[in-house]
Amino acid sequence: MSKTVILYGTESGNAELVAEDLAAEMAGDHEVSVYDMSDFDVADFDPAVFVVVVCSTHGDGELPGGAKPLFEALMSERPDLAGITYAMFGLGDSSYETYSQGSEIIDRAFTELGAERVGVYGRHNASDGSLPNDDALEWMRALFEFA
Amino acid sequence: MHTSSLPQAAGPSIAIVGSGPSGCYLAHFLRKRWTDSDIVIFDRLSLPYGLVRYGVAPDHTGTKAVTRQFDRLFERDGVRFVGKTEIGRDITMHQLRAAFDVVVLATGLPADRALGIPGERGADDGLTGVYGSGRVTRLINGHPEESADEVHFGSRVTIVGHGNVAIDLVRLLLTSPEELRSHGVAEDVVGRIMAGPVRHIDVVGRSCAVQAKFDTNMIRELSKIPNVQFFAADRELHTPVGDGQDGTRRDAVAALIAESVPASPADADADVARTVRFHFGWAPDRLTGTGSVDATVFRRADGSVGSLELASDSVLTAIGFSEAVDASLRRSDHESADSHLDSGRLAAGLYCVGWLRRGPHGTIPANRTDAKSVADVVGAAFAAGEFPGGKPGFGGLPERNRV
Repeated sequence: MSKTVILYGTESGNAELVAEDLAAEMAGDHEVSVYDMSDFDVADFDPAVFVVVVCSTHGDGELPGGAKPLFEALMSERPDLAGITYAMFGLGDSSYETYSQGSEIIDRAFTELGAERVGVYGRHNASDGSLPNDDALEWMRALFEFA
Repeated sequence: MHTSSLPQAAGPSIAIVGSGPSGCYLAHFLRKRWTDSDIVIFDRLSLPYGLVRYGVAPDHTGTKAVTRQFDRLFERDGVRFVGKTEIGRDITMHQLRAAFDVVVLATGLPADRALGIPGERGADDGLTGVYGSGRVTRLINGHPEESADEVHFGSRVTIVGHGNVAIDLVRLLLTSPEELRSHGVAEDVVGRIMAGPVRHIDVVGRSCAVQAKFDTNMIRELSKIPNVQFFAADRELHTPVGDGQDGTRRDAVAALIAESVPASPADADADVARTVRFHFGWAPDRLTGTGSVDATVFRRADGSVGSLELASDSVLTAIGFSEAVDASLRRSDHESADSHLDSGRLAAGLYCVGWLRRGPHGTIPANRTDAKSVADVVGAAFAAGEFPGGKPGFGGLPERNRV
């Protein structure tokens, strides 16, 4: 059974709910655990564990508050993430020019440190008031068909 | 498998008073902790979600979407919503505390903070045409206790305040009737906004441009409204950026002004052109008029000599919120030497959260963080045996309150 960790970076809680729904969907076939990015230690990245990131966007294209501690730790400790594979699902609101840019900040940090993104970059646009959960589940099913 | 917080069984029964963001987030975090607890959210209105429903601007659908998250509390997570029930009137605090192990007050701060200047209504001698931003956003959002009958915006509106609420008002007053309707704004309210229609808005704040409170994305959003030209006096806009200060808000206003174009002669002739002027560094001094307001006078906020008089068909105040004078529940009535507001604890088994706990600052995400910390405090207190469990919960309320 493959191991997966789902990391969420959230501001208003939507990314947390997405992460929980993804975990529930995966639970049968994977050993999966869910972490708020603010509770995840950079030392815990493990090449044997696939990483799914669900991250929202705050304000003017910034990281959500919950993602900041991990991002700052990545930037200051610069761990070698070579061998880590991950998938990215970004949340945002296209009424703002900076739609979905919060997740891109994490994506750039992961790539810079040697991790490899697989699958399609998932995105959900909240401007129509819809919840991201269904889009995210669909994205995940496609992701694991590919993987 | 959710390693972040392992649910424990046999939790306390919990009543949350107020179904705005703080109350709903609190229910979410407490439900994660205690999967089987009786958790009930009371609201004096029939519909839940408080400021998300009645305070967030109707065109900010992305922000309002957080209610879809809260819906899951009631649809899936076994949290009960009891509307049209005001604690302190329909159910006493004593009855509530007798029925529930934990009571958390999440009633927010719904009243508009007053300007406190001559001409404002307070006693009976005030001028009409002055409206609090909370009242206006409730009206625009269809709050059951607001009526458009007495509301007259006119064509020249003065908005006092430079926070995001003030910018919401600028945008909403300049939004087309079609778009307002598409967001569910009621016809009588659309009619009031179009009655002037609004032609010119002055937005006046105490701070200098560098220290204005609004967010830059709110300013950028204004650039999408058609047929509006934005202005500010150069000397007010181009104040120096001090050490450690961030000039991005000032720069966003400068960009908005630079990009906004003068009305074409055709638009000016057709009378569809509108103007907005930002004023920085002015404190309200007095309202003048006979019966209804017709001008607002400001003095320099830094105390230097100078005044600014603006013609105002109406004045909208957006300078913050406070407790309602007629609130049926007051935090101060439940505070004692034993209270610890930093943690949200008012007494054993009695807590407060959100704006009521820490004041009217911070957006929805800040109240999520607040709710998370108060949920942790409640959890630790229960684990430490600070209050006993075993109260019956919803079933322990008088029967007439359980319908």
